[in-house]
Amino acid sequence: MDRSKASLVNRREAVRLFAATAASLALPAIGRAEEDKVFRFGLTPVFLVNDLELLDHLRGYLASRLKVPVELVTRRTYQEITALLVSGQIQSAWICGYPFVAFRSQLDLVATPSWRGRPLYQSYVIVHRDRQVDDWTGLRGDVHAFSDPDSNSGYLVTTALLAENRTTPDRFFSHHFFTYGHRNVVRAVASRLAQSGSVDGYVWEVMRETEPDLVAQTKVLRRSEWLGFPPVAAPRLLAGDPRLAAIRDALTGMKDDPEGQAVLKLLRLDGFVVTEPSLFDTIAAKMDVVRRLG
Amino acid sequence: MNVLRAWGSIPVSYRVPVLVALLMVVVSAAISERVLDRLSQTQEAALDGLAETYLDGLSAAIVPAVMRGDVWEIFDALDRTTTAYRSLAPLETVVAGVDGRVLAASDPGRVATYSQLPADYVAQFGLRSVSIDSDTMAGSTRRDLVYQGQKVGAVFASFDVSHLFAERREILVTLLATNGMLAAAFALGGFLLVRRITAPLGVLESHMRSAANGMAQPIPPAGIPSRDREVASLFNGYNALVQAQRDSDRLATQLAEEERLASLGRLASGMAHEINNPLGGLFNAIGTLKAHGSAPGVRETSIALIERGLQGIRDVVAAALATYRPERSTRTFAVADLEDVRLLMTPELRRKRQRLEWSVDLGSGEVARVNGAPIRQALLNLLLNASAATPEGGGIALSAASRGGELRFEVRDEGPGLPPHVARILVASEPGPIVSAGGGLGLWMVRRTVDECGGRIAVADGPNGGTVIAMSIPIAQEERRFDAA
Repeated sequence: MDRSKASLVNRREAVRLFAATAASLALPAIGRAEEDKVFRFGLTPVFLVNDLELLDHLRGYLASRLKVPVELVTRRTYQEITALLVSGQIQSAWICGYPFVAFRSQLDLVATPSWRGRPLYQSYVIVHRDRQVDDWTGLRGDVHAFSDPDSNSGYLVTTALLAENRTTPDRFFSHHFFTYGHRNVVRAVASRLAQSGSVDGYVWEVMRETEPDLVAQTKVLRRSEWLGFPPVAAPRLLAGDPRLAAIRDALTGMKDDPEGQAVLKLLRLDGFVVTEPSLFDTIAAKMDVVRRLG
Repeated sequence: MNVLRAWGSIPVSYRVPVLVALLMVVVSAAISERVLDRLSQTQEAALDGLAETYLDGLSAAIVPAVMRGDVWEIFDALDRTTTAYRSLAPLETVVAGVDGRVLAASDPGRVATYSQLPADYVAQFGLRSVSIDSDTMAGSTRRDLVYQGQKVGAVFASFDVSHLFAERREILVTLLATNGMLAAAFALGGFLLVRRITAPLGVLESHMRSAANGMAQPIPPAGIPSRDREVASLFNGYNALVQAQRDSDRLATQLAEEERLASLGRLASGMAHEINNPLGGLFNAIGTLKAHGSAPGVRETSIALIERGLQGIRDVVAAALATYRPERSTRTFAVADLEDVRLLMTPELRRKRQRLEWSVDLGSGEVARVNGAPIRQALLNLLLNASAATPEGGGIALSAASRGGELRFEVRDEGPGLPPHVARILVASEPGPIVSAGGGLGLWMVRRTVDECGGRIAVADGPNGGTVIAMSIPIAQEERRFDAA
């Protein structure tokens, strides 16, 4: 039995269990009035969470629109945020398309960012600028940097590519490790800690503007097809909660507000749009490929 | 040995500053060595402390990640600590697992992740203190990562320590510059001091040199430092010496003059006889001329008599003038000089009723290119001496011959012989000062004349008692030597 597939499945089970337990523990607390007033918004390293200026603007904008204090919740891994979200301890979160698909039954789509006119992005396989390699098959035996085991662009896309070719990261790469951040994948490849990496194409493109020196040390070896941009999701537990409608309005109205524009400008996004969950079917298909073939 | 001799020949005013400078160099070398030694100890202690802090912080941050084998976490921690510990200037930090495989390095391009660390790479890291490699200017140390008593990995860290060497070099340069300037200052001070100390010696030396050239001058009182008693004493001593020499010279000149006058006096009385003797005859001749001048025979005879008598007087006066006014005569020695000597001796010999054996074998005219006056004076002195030593009615002798390129004179007497201290005046290699000549002033002047002519004197006992004094004067090439004298 394939090890990575087993661990993936086991991890999903664990998250479900954890989420259920957390929900049962957390729910009574939600009733408390002062807790009610704070809107908790989860953030994953899908984008540049290390930018404090961005976090300030985002918190300020959401608070002004929701008329309640907003707490931005960040964790090291996608998994932690997903667990908090599924369990309803945070009211919504910007997560990756992969956990959204994985926990689709327990999550509702709030809004999806629009980048360069579309709610779509790509996954990149990057290598060091000086490396001579023709295509991804030349990466056999590499030390490979993934972003997060629950990331679509930073893990699932490459794993699915390998699965389609009847192999797995463990077999194809000599070693691989997780950096828990797309920016970290770029750093790992730039510093040659890893010989290649799987990274969010949107993050890589934005970093070309914000950290050109770092990104210049890497180059894109392979671009995936266009996939659904990491969306903002809410727990189905809170379906019907008026705050969810408010957050959706806040997000989709961001491009019309000065502070919201500041946030979008920092994120290099056009705005947020409401999309159908079917936008993420391609990601679900990849999950399926990995499950079947990998 | 040659070095020592060469060193000894350097003037003391240069030797002292060189010695002072050398001493300063030795002292500064010792001090610099101590300072640099202490500096490097302090630097290494500081580096050890800094490295310890760095490794403590790093270990605390990475032990959990090392246990999980979390490559990224370790790398991220290395990346952050490298920038946080700028003062330590970490060059390279490598974290390895317990199996010796690299988990992460600060520069993964150099030390690849998951590669096995070579044993010789591991070997260059000391476990406790930072070991410094002066070639690469890097310090290196290692730290085992321990969790609950179990080793879970190791950190290998190396640091740029070029700033330590730069600091040492800077301090060395400062020390060298300072000590060099001090050495130069001390050497200059020593030079000036010694020059100041030896300056009086220079004054003394120049005075002594001019004294050696016959112009002994006392140091004027203004030139004698009043504060420096030692130098003043030295100068006063020199001045006393000059004064004594001047007194001695004056005395010698006086004595020589007195001796000349004394012999002149003796000769003058003899000459008075010489002149007096014909005077009676002359007056007689004049009387005869007065009485019988009309007779041609008488007149002729009387005039011839007067002429001879005046000629004799003229000869005596001329010989005396030639002998006692020698500066008027610069002609060379000739047989005529000997005749003058004989003439001058005649009254003294007659007074003492002594015989003179006269044996001259020199040919005629000029016989040598040697000034005649001093030789004539010397022979006269020897003959007067011989006459004085010989009892009345005795005999003295003079022989003169030209032989083997030199004039040889022998004076023989019948006296009791020369006392040794008088003989020494003639024959000793150094005649000694005139004052010690005592009664032998005449002989001292003989000796001086012979020395000036480059001749020599021998004293011997005569065949029938008495003394023979032989005087040899070179003939050839004498002109130059005499002029030089």
